[in-house]
Amino acid sequence: MRISYEWLGDFLDLEGLTPKDAADVLTRQGVEVESLTMVDLSAIVIGKVLEQTKHPKSRNDLWVHQVDLGGRVQQIIAGAPNAVPGSLVPVALPGTTVPNGKVVKDMNIAGYQASGMLCSASELLLGDDHSGILILDRGTPGQSLTTVIPSQAIMEAEVTSNRPDCMGHLGIARELGAGLDRPMKRDFMPAFTGTADPPGRDLVRVSIEDPELCSRYIGGVITGVRVGPSPDWMQRRLRASAVRPINNIVDITNYVLLEYAQPLHAFDLAKLKGPAIEVRRARDRERLLGLDGVERELTTDMLVIADAERPVALAGVIGGEETAVTEATTDILLESATFSGPSIRQTSRALGLRTEASARFERALPPELALAGARRAASLIAELAGGKVHRDWADVYPRPQEPVRVNIRPSLIDDVLGTHVPLQEAEAILKRLNFHVKVRGDGEWDVLPPVFRLDVAIPEDLVEEVGRVYGYDRVAPTLPGRRHDRWTPLAPSMDRRLDDGREVLAGAGFTETWTPALVSGTKLESLRIAAHAMRVLNALSDDMDTLRTSLLPSLFDAVALNRDRGRDEVRLYEIATAFLARVGEKNAQPEEPLRLAAVATAGTTAQEGEDGFRALKSVLDGRQLGYIGEVHPAVAAQSKLDGRVVAFEIDVEPVLGAAHVPRAQPLPRFPGVERDLAVVVEDAVAAGAVLLAIKESAGEMLEHARAFDEYHGAQVPEGHKSIAFTLTFRSPERTLTDAEVDTVMAEIRLGLEKRHRARFRE
Amino acid sequence: MSDPSALTTEALAAIAQAPGEDALAKVELEYLGRKSGRVSRLLANIGQLPPAEKAALGKAANEAKRAIEAALAARRAELEQARLADLAETEAIDVTFPGPPLGRGHIHVLTQVRRQIETVLESLGYQVELGPEVETEWYNFEALNITAGHPARENWDSFYFSPELLLRAHTSPVQIRAMQRIKEPPIYIITPGRCYRRDAPEATRLPYFSQVEGLAVDRGMTVGDMKGTLLYMIQSLYGADRKVRVRPSYFPFTEPSFEFDVSCGICGGMGCKSCRHKGWLEVGGCGMVHPQVLRNGGIDPSQWNGYAWGFGIERMAMLKHDVDDIRLFYEPDLRFLEQF
Ligand SMILES: [Zn+2]
Repeated sequence: MRISYEWLGDFLDLEGLTPKDAADVLTRQGVEVESLTMVDLSAIVIGKVLEQTKHPKSRNDLWVHQVDLGGRVQQIIAGAPNAVPGSLVPVALPGTTVPNGKVVKDMNIAGYQASGMLCSASELLLGDDHSGILILDRGTPGQSLTTVIPSQAIMEAEVTSNRPDCMGHLGIARELGAGLDRPMKRDFMPAFTGTADPPGRDLVRVSIEDPELCSRYIGGVITGVRVGPSPDWMQRRLRASAVRPINNIVDITNYVLLEYAQPLHAFDLAKLKGPAIEVRRARDRERLLGLDGVERELTTDMLVIADAERPVALAGVIGGEETAVTEATTDILLESATFSGPSIRQTSRALGLRTEASARFERALPPELALAGARRAASLIAELAGGKVHRDWADVYPRPQEPVRVNIRPSLIDDVLGTHVPLQEAEAILKRLNFHVKVRGDGEWDVLPPVFRLDVAIPEDLVEEVGRVYGYDRVAPTLPGRRHDRWTPLAPSMDRRLDDGREVLAGAGFTETWTPALVSGTKLESLRIAAHAMRVLNALSDDMDTLRTSLLPSLFDAVALNRDRGRDEVRLYEIATAFLARVGEKNAQPEEPLRLAAVATAGTTAQEGEDGFRALKSVLDGRQLGYIGEVHPAVAAQSKLDGRVVAFEIDVEPVLGAAHVPRAQPLPRFPGVERDLAVVVEDAVAAGAVLLAIKESAGEMLEHARAFDEYHGAQVPEGHKSIAFTLTFRSPERTLTDAEVDTVMAEIRLGLEKRHRARFRE
Repeated sequence: MSDPSALTTEALAAIAQAPGEDALAKVELEYLGRKSGRVSRLLANIGQLPPAEKAALGKAANEAKRAIEAALAARRAELEQARLADLAETEAIDVTFPGPPLGRGHIHVLTQVRRQIETVLESLGYQVELGPEVETEWYNFEALNITAGHPARENWDSFYFSPELLLRAHTSPVQIRAMQRIKEPPIYIITPGRCYRRDAPEATRLPYFSQVEGLAVDRGMTVGDMKGTLLYMIQSLYGADRKVRVRPSYFPFTEPSFEFDVSCGICGGMGCKSCRHKGWLEVGGCGMVHPQVLRNGGIDPSQWNGYAWGFGIERMAMLKHDVDDIRLFYEPDLRFLEQF
């Protein structure tokens, strides 16, 4: 919501207040002012164009103006042609800083002196129009521009979705007035009603097909209007709110929207067939040419305003071109209605068309606002465009808005806020916000919110109203600390339990990544891991349309990305959820196993690949809870991985479940004996199998055994390998003698010969 | 045969001139060797002497031995001191030359920040609760008072798998699940986790992000308690000089509702470029839990009340580490990841 500070002065005395003060009050109260732009126009002067000639030499279209600045004439060059002789224009003289930041300098353009600049509305930050010089409708040459246009302050404010009443200047002023404790100059409901005969409801018939979608429709008839430009002050305020002026009737409807937050629409009554208005769903294939010049095909879930024959407006979103008010219009039907928020939002989304009107209807406007807006607009039309406003408008209001009374025990305010707000002050705040407070005999308050506040329904809502005006900065921070007779002992979180693993991985040179869980479904399919994949119905893009069933594809991409950026050696891991649909169970939440996956590059040769695999395996420490291996060349190619990559992925929870508390063992009292053993076996025999055989033969004396080297080459026969083990022997009762160990070694050799036809190297 | 005092003089002179340990060892052997040392040999024929001389010689020999031993020790100490004094020169290294790389990996900055947040809140007695990322419509919306057609739903535009099933838009469903599980307050929990919203990726937001929410349900909880908890959390994470401000806002699941800001660390609240001259940086949302939400969690709002708050972990990490593009967190680029 764009707020013009100067406009707030219509409703509230701003004496002694700066725009910054106002912005602070609004922000503290819940209307967050995100930016405040000050537009200082005091250095801009009014000029009158005496002469305008085309620049004879310039290749671009330039115009040379002689401008009267009140007794002296300056030559000023401009690119826009609209400052014709006689025009009053804003002039920035050399040395002036224009509100948009430009500093004006004396210049010479192809032999012509230019002493100043004629300003457009956008250069003065008075609107978005930069197509030409801003032409003033009054003013005295030589005087400051502020004699006709006050300096401006524009606030961009974020209005929360529960406060549609603050989508207009009146609502903002009311908030400011409550915060400052200043009275409003104007009542919410204008007293104005039409008086002309015949009654408006006899001139146009109005009906509503579905009250769920339109809870109120007011159709006011005004005849004999003169369509023309709206007054300068109105155009300026519209421009300041980024609304383009059209003609006085359309401008008034937009003006009232910006004032009351109630969208309005004016039809040319002569062009309505019937004349009748029906609020109904669009029929299949009905079309409407909108005011924006776009013809749209409508669907049957869209709400339209139709005359006796066809749709004439898309309800709450945009009016139709065919029934629009033009220069030739004399009689109008003024629409002020209340449409269902969800319906308008759906239509606006389906068509990709968001307007000032739809943005307000989406938030569910109170029906009482429709009458206030209609009266305000009709009074402005009568005042600024002539015309007779007919009495007794059509007002179809099938389900009148019920007043919601809220009972509150006033001590609740202190209980919830945690501070003491004097009752009188709380009551005064509610009254400033237009709530009626009746104190009952038992001390409870019977509170009636104003008709434009549909968001207040429970006592806590009233606590909020009091709190936000009273000021939350007046509530001291405290920590809750009560005596509890029950508690839950602290259990270490999953994250905490995974910390050890993260440290181990960091120590092994692995860096943690967080990658998105939404990946390309096509990619999962091509990797053949899409059987349990869940596909998003409304994905933003193809590469984020499916929940990953494995973390590895993301990690492969991560390797490719880092390779691309010049890293040869990449070691990455991620701990995150994988998603596995429960096949055959509709609407069931998927399994969400927490996974740990890691990848490491491993050179290019087979040996490097093998080494890389082993390095990765040592991280896992022998647990078998997932899969580990070298990435298949086909997969590697698909993921654009050059070189060898090894990877693993495991379910984390079983690992954490298996974690045990170490029990202390007595320290060894006797020295151990170490022996190395080089075992020559056929290539097919795995180190693990050899180790198992060693352990079986060795008995209790063997404390520890570990393979530390593997050898192929001249010293072993073809098709064989030599695996070197280091063995540690120890007895808890005595120092072992060499002879004892020799005996065990002989047993081990014998066992290996039998089991694996092993030979031994010295 | 020389007499003991002459021998001592000779030995001390040799010790004083000994240039190093080798020479000293030779001197020691020559004079104090057990059998063939010259001091020992003095006593070789002591048996033939008369008793008075015997005693005198024995005493003199012992004195000579002690004197030589003392001189040896002193000279050794002297030599060692000289060696240590020269060490700085003889073994000088280039201290600026880098050591071998440790090759350690890095823990993700979001993990680090999440861990800090958890540590701080655990110190206040909050416990971590986790929940599913694929949620039901009821837990994600209805239970939190965000009914179908609610104008606020726009803020939680979600990814759907069916009309019933979606990716959670916040971790708030975990609050409902926790209330239902724990059943009877006190409840003090935090809910870290990944969330998803249908927003196109840009520098300040992503369709996937991570949140931490907190929930406290107990007797007589106040807005002041909520403010204090937020202040404790922020000061613990960013320093004791930080301030917290709560601004009224609107969420369907809290009443009253707020956004909370932290004072800018660069300008201390005076206003500067990095806080867009506001003096405050937006962190997250908070409020007193709506009575209907308590009811949906199976808690009786006439007995208990509470407060809740939530914020993005990325936002906290951005504030703490001056990261200016949220997308960096989810790009596995080592050039970024290794900075933390
Ligand atoms: Zn700052």
